[in-house]
Amino acid sequence: MAQSALARSERINGWLFVMPALVLLGIFMVYPILWSLWMSFQVGRGMNFSFGGTANIMRLTQDPVFLRALSNTMLFLAMQVPIMLVLALFFANALNDSKLWGRGFFRTAIFLPCVTSLVAYSVIFKSIFAIDGIANQTLLVLHLIENPINWLSDPFWARVVVITAITWRWTGYNMIFYLAAMQNIDRSIYEAARIDGVPAWARFWFITVPLLKPVILFTSVISTIGTLQLFDEVNLLTQGGPSDATLTLSLYIYNLSFRFMPSFGYAATVSYVIVILVGILSLIQFIVAKDRRA
Amino acid sequence: MIRITSRWRNTLAVALTGVSLFSVAAASAAEITVWCWDPNFNGATMEEAFSRYKAIHPDDTIKVEIFEKAAMEQKLQAQLASGATDGLPDIVLIEDYRAQKYLQSFPSSFEPLTSHVDYSTFAPYKVELATLNGQTYSIPFDSGVTGYFYRSDLLAEAGITPDQLNDITWDQLIEIGKTVKEKTGLPLLPIDPTSSDWIRIMLQSAGSWYFDADGNVTIKDNPVFKAAVETYQRLMTAGITTPVSGWTEYTGSFTSGKTPSTFSGVWMTATIKANADQSGKWGVAPSPRLDGVEGAGNASNLGGSSWYVLSSAPEKEKAIDFLTSIWAKDVDFYQKILVNQGALGTYLPAREGEAFKASDEFFGGEPVWQNFSTWLAAIPAVNYGIFTEEADTATVAQIPAITSGGNVDEIIAAIDAQVRQQIQ
Repeated sequence: MAQSALARSERINGWLFVMPALVLLGIFMVYPILWSLWMSFQVGRGMNFSFGGTANIMRLTQDPVFLRALSNTMLFLAMQVPIMLVLALFFANALNDSKLWGRGFFRTAIFLPCVTSLVAYSVIFKSIFAIDGIANQTLLVLHLIENPINWLSDPFWARVVVITAITWRWTGYNMIFYLAAMQNIDRSIYEAARIDGVPAWARFWFITVPLLKPVILFTSVISTIGTLQLFDEVNLLTQGGPSDATLTLSLYIYNLSFRFMPSFGYAATVSYVIVILVGILSLIQFIVAKDRRA
Repeated sequence: MIRITSRWRNTLAVALTGVSLFSVAAASAAEITVWCWDPNFNGATMEEAFSRYKAIHPDDTIKVEIFEKAAMEQKLQAQLASGATDGLPDIVLIEDYRAQKYLQSFPSSFEPLTSHVDYSTFAPYKVELATLNGQTYSIPFDSGVTGYFYRSDLLAEAGITPDQLNDITWDQLIEIGKTVKEKTGLPLLPIDPTSSDWIRIMLQSAGSWYFDADGNVTIKDNPVFKAAVETYQRLMTAGITTPVSGWTEYTGSFTSGKTPSTFSGVWMTATIKANADQSGKWGVAPSPRLDGVEGAGNASNLGGSSWYVLSSAPEKEKAIDFLTSIWAKDVDFYQKILVNQGALGTYLPAREGEAFKASDEFFGGEPVWQNFSTWLAAIPAVNYGIFTEEADTATVAQIPAITSGGNVDEIIAAIDAQVRQQIQ
């Protein structure tokens, strides 16, 4: 097919314009991803690599620590994401009420945690949940518990603290998405429903939630990815302890690379487990959301 | 940033004056950067060493960067793995448990010092730890010979005399703990349940470790390991310990008198002596030994570390010159850090110095340094191997099970399985 000189020059110019971005993307995104895929087939200690084929995948299946990290991560995901999204939806709905006094203040207050520094808030949570911290003192004063709870050195309570911490930080973030979406819903729909005598809970459940579905899908995918990559909070609060009860996949990758005898190849394999999990879970969420719409 | 800037300034100054590079290297002011982890201990001794070097080389400066120990180790490992050497120090302190891991994982990242140092003047076990393929990489620093540090005044209230603490077993110590708890209400020992220090001390006191001399796992079917876990379990369930979390809480516990004793390496002296008002109230006894174990003795080791020069160091020649002219030569320096920081160096000629023979008023006028030197000689040598971190993690993961009175055989089997899986 013959092309005019102008069209060709435009096409070349177009590519030249996007080239800097493509080159940067290639160097900092595509190359590391491909390299880590190659790494995941390497075995060896430290910087002494050799090709190991499927050795790392075999190692995964027999690694009790990996399985513990995987089950902890899935537990955090299964517990924390639903709690957080329901809370966010609840707050968004409450703060969307135009008659609510001081809602600007509440919105800011609930959103504020997600702009605080990860390190700062983890340190504060650590002191709140210390054995003589404010959490224990409050519960003792209220006579809800007899003896102080050893929050961070008890496997069960350590998980509770981690879930509480990430919920506290990210609820406001998700709330903002819901709030924005709610303000795009046409008020006349609610007005019509009110005239028809639809009660408040039904207006929420049958109007708000279905209309928010794309946003709910988006936040659940984002939260799933975030929780699967959970690292900062557990590293700062518990270092994965006690008894590996809060060890996550990302923390295990960190340990394999920087704490233990470095096995970068195996660490790359574990990181691909996260990639595959994110892929599968996102796909499931898309399918579920699509089915309901049909 | 500051370091980089000042180095650039130096380079610029060199270029501007147009002096030949060689003579400038000898004459220009160098700044040596050091990474270590304890401002009272290894940081302070490094500063002291440099102040002596500065007397001969007044233009040179040192920058001692203090990190939390685990953070420093992870930072070093991450940076060595990245291959980017910018920002690495000239000299780094590495704990003996981890030395071989770094040397083997990152070949040619550390500078062999064999041609600069006469290693026969250092304790052989320290040299051994830093030797790989016939090259030795470290300037050996301190020993981690263990002792039982106690507040003699508080134990006296419970009627415990220093004699009762000499050459005892762990079970005798537990009985003493019960007496102390009964009479004074104080828990005898602060124990951090996220650390395996105590089990490691017990293992080495009987000449055992997670691994044998060839690096094979020796956890299951190792009578010493079993005895150590059982003893730790008895210790934790006797009601004579208090849980502490983290270093600050741990050291705060015995320096504030909330617990009347602890059990640690000789380097803990620096932290204890930092409380000058407690002078004369402290004593040191040898470590307890494991009961009913062959080869169990009253001497063990915890920690201990050495200085390493990085191959990429910008001031490599200067750093080596500094280390060899003070750390491998100055007997008087070792006397000073012994008294001030409790740093029991492993430079053998220093042992003949005065401070090693003197008694210490802080410890009730006892010849503590001579005692430590005697115990040091009795420490059984073990091979730490390259997977101590993995084995520690596997052990710590089982500490809640041990503390809650779990079945020792099952716990050991679980540790063994995890370590074997992790060390490939």
